[in-house]
Amino acid sequence: MANADRILIIDDEVQIRRLLEITLSANGYKISEAASGKEGLMLAASIQPVLIILDLGLPDIDGIEVLKKIRVWYQKPIIILSVRNSEEDIVKALDNGANDYLTKPFRTGELLARIRVAIRQDENLLSKPILEFGSLTIDIANHIARKDNEIIKLTSTEFSLLALLAKNEGRVLTHQFILKEVWGMSYIEQTQYLRVFVAQLRKKIEVDPSKPKLLITESGIGYRFGD
Amino acid sequence: MYAKGQRANPFLTRRLTSIFKSSLRQYVIVLAFVIVSSLICYSIKDIIGYRSVSFALLFLVSILAIFFGTGPILLAATLCAIIWDFFFIPPHFALHIENPEDVLMLVMFFTIALLNGVLTSRIRSQEKEARVREERTHALYQLTKDLSIYSGYDEVTKVVVMNVSRFFHVDCAIILKNDQNQLNTWVQPHSLLTLTEEDLKIANWAFEHSEKTGKYTESNALSNYTFYPLLGISAKMGMMIVKRKTELTETETQFWEAFLSQISGKYEREFLLDVTKKIYLLSESEKLYKTLFNSISHELRIPVTTIMGASDTLLNQNYPNEIRRKLYTEINIATIRLNRLIENLLNMSRLESGRITSHPDWYDVHDIVNSAIESLNQELQPFQLSITIQPEIPLVHVDFGLTEQILHNLLLNATQYSPIGSEIGLELFFNKGFLTIQVMDKGKGFPESELHFVFEKFYRGKDSKAGGTGLGLSIVKGFVEAQKGTIIAENRQDGGAKFTIDLPTEILDINSYKKPED
Repeated sequence: MANADRILIIDDEVQIRRLLEITLSANGYKISEAASGKEGLMLAASIQPVLIILDLGLPDIDGIEVLKKIRVWYQKPIIILSVRNSEEDIVKALDNGANDYLTKPFRTGELLARIRVAIRQDENLLSKPILEFGSLTIDIANHIARKDNEIIKLTSTEFSLLALLAKNEGRVLTHQFILKEVWGMSYIEQTQYLRVFVAQLRKKIEVDPSKPKLLITESGIGYRFGD
Repeated sequence: MYAKGQRANPFLTRRLTSIFKSSLRQYVIVLAFVIVSSLICYSIKDIIGYRSVSFALLFLVSILAIFFGTGPILLAATLCAIIWDFFFIPPHFALHIENPEDVLMLVMFFTIALLNGVLTSRIRSQEKEARVREERTHALYQLTKDLSIYSGYDEVTKVVVMNVSRFFHVDCAIILKNDQNQLNTWVQPHSLLTLTEEDLKIANWAFEHSEKTGKYTESNALSNYTFYPLLGISAKMGMMIVKRKTELTETETQFWEAFLSQISGKYEREFLLDVTKKIYLLSESEKLYKTLFNSISHELRIPVTTIMGASDTLLNQNYPNEIRRKLYTEINIATIRLNRLIENLLNMSRLESGRITSHPDWYDVHDIVNSAIESLNQELQPFQLSITIQPEIPLVHVDFGLTEQILHNLLLNATQYSPIGSEIGLELFFNKGFLTIQVMDKGKGFPESELHFVFEKFYRGKDSKAGGTGLGLSIVKGFVEAQKGTIIAENRQDGGAKFTIDLPTEILDINSYKKPED
């Protein structure tokens, strides 16, 4: 019995839960709250929310552990909301299956946007052989990308990179994840490949490659694709 | 480190002579030489003639004089004279001499052998003394030199233990005093001896009485060790405990005491340095606390007051939407300010505790600039931002987060000190192994006299607007230095401030880069 618009908040701070409850309810979501890791794990299994917002600093179980445990069976988006703001922490959470990461203090507008993107992406994942981003269309099955209806000349690696990012629209992909998916396990440390290809790709798909709007850099963590 | 067995050459000869020194053995060896030589001479006396034998024996005595003391040489000279007389001068096997020339010869032989032997042995002993003196001077010099290089109790103890073992061939342990002027109950690291409860008691007694004690002294003579107090110029520093195998001679004692006073002096200097450092830190932290208190409490109160006031008004009064919106905006601005303060304080404390480490990776300079500008979207709005990035700039190998924060703080700083609408310049280029970042504004710049303090914690320009803690630039400097870079602040010729940062970096040319799998 999946709850189509119920979001589970796992956070031990009452004030944060209250703020989220007010904001999210006002935007049409139903809310369930858990104040500890154990309660969160239980609720996640029983109510099957459409999305989980998870704090990392929980009183009983570390948030990363909660994340790992939920991820074993839960396929829907998990957004981390934490005061931990080091690159290591963020990368660790993303590599353990979090879809997105926001640091506290956060802007509610930003959070709502990320929630919408995560849910939409989750629904899109199954279908859609052709992805559209403004004037850019990507035909995954036929390996063709078009900008303003003109075919963009892409090498096969460039296309793999673009397709990977586009399929995960709105989601932060870590450097390591992208390197592993596009180049393979043995290239996981070769960030320079990624930089070179991102720079090339931007020249081909962005309106102004020096101010990218599609292929966005996430400080020291990875890339996010979105319009 | 010097292994215990490894000893310099002068000590080998010293050891050899000390073997010969044992007097009985010396006499026996001399006797053996004389007898063997006499036997050889006796067997060839018909070939060389009995008078030549006297030269051979004279030669033997001279040679022996190089190695042995006066006593054995006297014995050798006398014995040789008698043997020559008895066995070689005719008539044989009688002390009586017929030929008057032979009598003269014998007297001369005896005198020359005696003089030769005694003089040589005296010269030798003088030479030996000179050598020992030289060795000691060298040892003291070596110790002083080693002690002057190292600092910190552990390093100093290491050097002391090494030198004591090298020049005195004994193991030792050091116990220092604590801040309350009492002897510690543990030996310093690098000490070579382990002490029992009993030993510690003796050490304590010796420390309190400032007296040496233990083996080869008048008190506690049954102990395995000898205990020496380390007496500095103005205070006692601790104890040195030594495991001696032999008693020191008078001259060795003098040498040892000179050694000991060098060591005590060094520990005293270390101690005083420690005290000075502690006092300095204490006054620094007090100063820091006061500044922190004044500046932070103000910086915290202002936004909290705004939030409290505005939200209170919103809750209790029914104002028109336009005014409500203004109040919300104020709350929003106050929270941004609070958040910035918290970020700065956290960064500062991370820097202070040395927990900032650089994790460099390959990055596109454009990405770093974009991230920094993105985070300052609102603040930069009223200014003309002019960004110049070297065309075709290669990939650089830096820490993204730190570099982004550097740009963020410098740009934010520029917005706070520049007139609205003025130009803020940002330039990035690669030059000879460095990524150079320049941030320029058209504000008032710095008074020349304050240029040195710009990066000091809590420094604030004289005409600064309200708000700001004076932490931003010192964080920039910390983040630059964490990446082994340099930063300078200067005034531009046509007014305004200019910051130049050089970050050392490797580069990777994007265009000439050989692409994998393509």
